[in-house]
Amino acid sequence: MQRFRELSPLRKKEAVFGWRLVSPAVILIGIFILYPVLYNIYLSFFEVSLTPGVPNKFVGFQNYRELLTDPTFWNSFGITMLFVLITVFGSILVGLGVALLMNKEFPGRGIVRALILFPYVAPVISTVFAWQYVLMPLNGPLTILLSNLGIMDVTQDLVNDPNNAFLVVSFYSIWKNFPFIYLMILSRLQSISQDYYEAADIDGANGFQKFRHITLPELYYVIGSLVLLRGIWNFYKFEEVYLLSKEARTLPIYLYEKAFTGLPELGVAAAIATVLFVVMMVLISIYVRKVLKW
Amino acid sequence: MKKLIVVILAVLVSAMMFTQTITFWHTQVETDRQQRVRALAQIFEAQTGIKVNLVPIEENEILEQIPRAVQAGTLPDVVEGGISPILLLGSQGFMDTKLNAKIIEDFGDVYEGVARLMKAPDGGYYGVPFHAWVQGIWYKANLFEERDLGAPTSWYNILTAAKALNDPANGFYGIILPKKADAYTEQVFSQIALSNGARPIDKDGNILFNTPEMIESFRFYKELGKYSRPGFTAVPEALNGYLNNEAAMVFYSTYIMDDIAVEEVQKQRVEQFDPKLVENTGFANFMVNIRPSSFGEVVGLGILNTSKNKDAAEQWVKFLMSGNNYIYWLHVAPGGMNPTRSSIAEMDEFLDNPVLERYGKDQITTIISALDTVERFEFMEGEIIEEMSILSGNFVIGRAINRMFANDWTPQQTAQWAQQEAERLLGD
Repeated sequence: MQRFRELSPLRKKEAVFGWRLVSPAVILIGIFILYPVLYNIYLSFFEVSLTPGVPNKFVGFQNYRELLTDPTFWNSFGITMLFVLITVFGSILVGLGVALLMNKEFPGRGIVRALILFPYVAPVISTVFAWQYVLMPLNGPLTILLSNLGIMDVTQDLVNDPNNAFLVVSFYSIWKNFPFIYLMILSRLQSISQDYYEAADIDGANGFQKFRHITLPELYYVIGSLVLLRGIWNFYKFEEVYLLSKEARTLPIYLYEKAFTGLPELGVAAAIATVLFVVMMVLISIYVRKVLKW
Repeated sequence: MKKLIVVILAVLVSAMMFTQTITFWHTQVETDRQQRVRALAQIFEAQTGIKVNLVPIEENEILEQIPRAVQAGTLPDVVEGGISPILLLGSQGFMDTKLNAKIIEDFGDVYEGVARLMKAPDGGYYGVPFHAWVQGIWYKANLFEERDLGAPTSWYNILTAAKALNDPANGFYGIILPKKADAYTEQVFSQIALSNGARPIDKDGNILFNTPEMIESFRFYKELGKYSRPGFTAVPEALNGYLNNEAAMVFYSTYIMDDIAVEEVQKQRVEQFDPKLVENTGFANFMVNIRPSSFGEVVGLGILNTSKNKDAAEQWVKFLMSGNNYIYWLHVAPGGMNPTRSSIAEMDEFLDNPVLERYGKDQITTIISALDTVERFEFMEGEIIEEMSILSGNFVIGRAINRMFANDWTPQQTAQWAQQEAERLLGD
């Protein structure tokens, strides 16, 4: 790369012009992304005061020490990783299956395709209330149905039982988010050339072989990107978990409780956010290089 | 013409500059209640020219909003909240204790019992007691009479009645008991524990979850759970369950009174209206095991230290707690919201309400008088135990009970968990 002063006058002008063009975006990113990130890192070294007139107290790495020696943090971390694994793979499997089905011709396909999007487009709060209602003990329609089928006891309270909360929230997240996966995969499926399948037919390939050797490789980068996106989103997923059952104890809930309940510990909360940020950045860079091969 | 426009603009700009605005956080999130608060704010603005920004916040979430507002610099001028948020705000230096004390003094007729619950160590008040409710067991008195059961005021009577009336095969349960990790569970447990002489923290800050009295309280709670309606019940299910004739007893505040008495209110909850529910419902407003205990909540109005419009805030508090404005507010939940000023409680206009009339002046007076003997974990022998707000804010008791039922913990295990959690939170 040439240094700026070594450029010709014309190139210099072009470079300056280029910076002028991108500067609004750079400034906006600086204000809305970089500043909050840096301020959060700065806060993580302080005991943040809530009392008016009392300044924040510098505590060095104490917040990080406190955090990393707290078993609740590690417990939440483990639960979060499990939540990400279950929900990402669950929603991709369901989304892939539904997309493959919806790629076939059948009467009323347009309506069915639109209806499948319902969980994704409906507001979180309304779907959460619907789930809480259908899974109510004694009177919940789904509870009654499942108890009639002998799957569960009608008196069981799945949503509010801290032992089940994690599973219920995971199922909900899969149900809520699979339409997004389905939509992405379906659009890619529709652009796969039919020639490949015709050639495979001539070679005598069966359905599974066509799926394995044509469909899946064609979907590789779409699925790879979806795993990345959903992984990031679900790692930080807060509203779905918090609204459905606070007992799921994932890291964003732990962070929220540290920051906003009882006597808030904003410094510790900032340290959690920083740790999450670093972990996420490391995981993303490994994933992007190894899986997406960017 | 230009001059006229300039004059009009100048008047508008100066009017905008001199219009005072205050922000008011309140916990009346239900639509009908919000309408009333809005109406009062409009009348106040018309009378004084002071605009009130209304911010409704869920009762359980008010503690969570505070640090966010501190960081964002958006704390309100006046906050309406229960004892826990008011104490937490007060202990962190957010409350103008002197101004709140001045308002109480200016009124001169605020019940001492409720004012005591908002008193600050500096002699001032963290908030002005605004309205209050009492908690107890509401029960199907007709069923108790049929079986010749005593009123559910003692542990023995409560457990005997719960066992005798429990009929799960027919979808009827002895009691509705909260088991969710929330404030409701803590409120119910508070009354049980206090009636057994148990407290989570004493005046010296010692954490006392693993005492025999506390373990006994957890044991009683778990025993009651055997005869309770299934589910990790929260407030709405408890109310619906009682109105829907699914249980013989329910722990609830006096807020239940209009739900029981008014057809339209009852029908918002359940399909079948039971016109005899008022006559057939009894209220046990205290509980006793080794000592009697009443439980209630005082909701206060607190002016914050950070307010830049303290005069306007004072006017707003006085406006809300005076004459017909006050009665208009209280009548949004007749029986639930009881006045904290004796002059208002005695006014005919206050009792002129379809719900309050049905219960009668004597019962209303009994409820209000119980406020003088209300006990809370946050207070002991006239002193405030501020650490309790931290435990309440983190729902330690609610979570302990939730886990006790979910994991079938013994009372000892439950007490041990609560002890450790409290020690962790309070840094012992």
